Amino acid sequence: MIAYPIASLDALITKEAAREWQSKGQLTNQQLQDIETAYPTNFYSPNVFVRIGLAIFCSILLFSAMGLTAMLSGLEGGTAFGIFGLFWGIVCIFILEKWAIQSSRHYGSGIDDMLLYYGLGALITGICLFLPYNSDTLAYFMVALPFLVLGSIRYLDRLLAAAVFICALSIVLLIVNKIPGLAIFLLPASGILFSAGAYWFARQGQKNTTKRHWYGVFGVVEMLALITFYASGNFWVVQQAGAAMFQMEVVPLSWLFWSFTYAVPLIYIGLGLRQKDRLLLDIGLLCVVAMVFTFRYYFHVLPLAWAATMAGAFLFALAYFSIRYLRKNEGTYTYAAGSKKSLIQEIEQQLVEQTIASQTAPMARPESFGGGQFGGGGAGQDF
Amino acid sequence: MRETILSDLVQKGLIAPEDAEKIAVFSVRQPFSLHWELKTLLYLGVVLLNVGLGFIIYENIDTIGHAAIIALIGAVSAGCFWYAIRHRRPFSLGEVESPTPYYDYILLLGCLTFLLMEGYWQFQYQIFGTRYGLATLIPMVLFFIVAYRFDNRGVLTMAITALASWLGVTVTTNELLIKNDFNSSTIVNTGIFLGALLMAITFAGERFKVKKHFSLTYLNFGVHILMVACLAGMMILELPLFYFPLLVLAVGFCIWYARKNDSFYFLLLALLYGYIGGTYLIFRLLPDFDITFYFLYFIISCIMIIVFLRNYKQFLKTDAP
Repeated sequence: MIAYPIASLDALITKEAAREWQSKGQLTNQQLQDIETAYPTNFYSPNVFVRIGLAIFCSILLFSAMGLTAMLSGLEGGTAFGIFGLFWGIVCIFILEKWAIQSSRHYGSGIDDMLLYYGLGALITGICLFLPYNSDTLAYFMVALPFLVLGSIRYLDRLLAAAVFICALSIVLLIVNKIPGLAIFLLPASGILFSAGAYWFARQGQKNTTKRHWYGVFGVVEMLALITFYASGNFWVVQQAGAAMFQMEVVPLSWLFWSFTYAVPLIYIGLGLRQKDRLLLDIGLLCVVAMVFTFRYYFHVLPLAWAATMAGAFLFALAYFSIRYLRKNEGTYTYAAGSKKSLIQEIEQQLVEQTIASQTAPMARPESFGGGQFGGGGAGQDF
Repeated sequence: MRETILSDLVQKGLIAPEDAEKIAVFSVRQPFSLHWELKTLLYLGVVLLNVGLGFIIYENIDTIGHAAIIALIGAVSAGCFWYAIRHRRPFSLGEVESPTPYYDYILLLGCLTFLLMEGYWQFQYQIFGTRYGLATLIPMVLFFIVAYRFDNRGVLTMAITALASWLGVTVTTNELLIKNDFNSSTIVNTGIFLGALLMAITFAGERFKVKKHFSLTYLNFGVHILMVACLAGMMILELPLFYFPLLVLAVGFCIWYARKNDSFYFLLLALLYGYIGGTYLIFRLLPDFDITFYFLYFIISCIMIIVFLRNYKQFLKTDAP
């Protein structure tokens, strides 16, 4: 079922666990060394920047190869391009299977990723070109879904898993949208139900040892499900969607959506802390941001400037006292850094540096000074 | 999952059963780290405070309360610096760990509010008159001193941005292409000068072991501004033969740094900028060919780069993961 060799994938899982234990002082260096030699992997999985580089150049390469063949064969009309798409899809998947995975043992190298995306993209586009040009959007999603599902299962690809989730959710919403008269009421409910189902499915999958290779794939579904669950019931989303799609002026059951808007982030955070579930906690924090924006969109209690200052002071104080408390009372929770620095955290570090730098935009010229350069602050031109 | 791995390891005799037992207990009992979440909150707090105070000054210029507000901001800034000085660690040429978890953020808030206050003074009282250079020079000098003395990379980025704006360019990565007018040769040459200067600082820092952990910050700004300026010189000022050699030099420096520090990030940047420059030069210098030629060029060049990246092991040291 999986394109990559299972033994090597298992060895990767074991080694990753061993490295984590070693970094937390549970294994000696010697033990880790022994484990590393006992579980060999011969995958080619380069550093993330090399992966990005390989992906970029592989993508230019495939694009040029497709362009060259399309030009030399002098294609005309939808059917010809459809066949062309199918041809290239099969070629890419064939190269991926036979060369990249079997003989060169690529695994997350940027090249296997790109071959997979280009192959599936060409296949799906090829089939879609055979559809009558006035087909419903639903038809395109229906064509794409099986390919995305198979791709994410066979190649353990997380991006495809995200695509599957979005594709399936779109199909559900598009179908519900067709129910006459009731669509307006059923849309939020179906979004919530779908997300809850997907979340439950992903959690079950993660707990299942036989599905261990899809742990990351389930993780992506879990994250997206948490986000769409909140979005489906968020008052701003419901109100805006209602206004845009059904010219609805007043949201029915608005008290329900408002309580959903306030309660869900807090429930996420509470459950995240209780169950030591980082994903739940972090998404909960993000949802609080969404909650604050939703609130401010409809109620202008304080001028923006004072609200930002007070919120800033509050957050700083909250973090300050939490850290002080945690440093004095080590227990279930700690302020000590976790062992693994995830990619998201690296990216955040970069973003932080960039925003700090842009806070200090120049104020050398008076004309630029007026244009919101006053110590940065994200001030717009509307002063 | 963990239990399966542990029993497997025990079975293979790689760890003792007692160790496995210990790890299993640890996995359940280990404390849950809130480090990242709390640091994000601290940072958000600082940014929101700065944004909010900046808006408040603006909205209250020429009102009765503005003196009070500016006094408040001054007090915040002074308080932050007082905290930083009180809790300072002795200076060292190497990396100094922050004395307290909030230290870096408080220092950052101090610098940001200082900038707010200085901007206000200049706006309201023209304390620097028309000597705009001085208005950016003062925070620049202050921030460099603060960054080195208290070992703060956040303040260092502020110092570098101040240096850039003192010279008249914008260096923030996301604003690099939008805010700079690369049609002017002054901007292009200033960019090249600034990029070269930042690279020289990196080189000197590495060489004389002065705050080596600052290299990444310096080089990240330096590489982007220098390479973009070189490309702008080639493409917009249409002087490819003058600016291309400069680009090659910059690419060479990047690769040197990448080799020395196992930094794949700078290797990738060097390759990407070099590829853009080289491709432009080839298309520019060669006569017009059929479109087939261009496709073939991309196919062959990409294969070459992929082969190179695939075999960087022979080229870069491979100790890094």
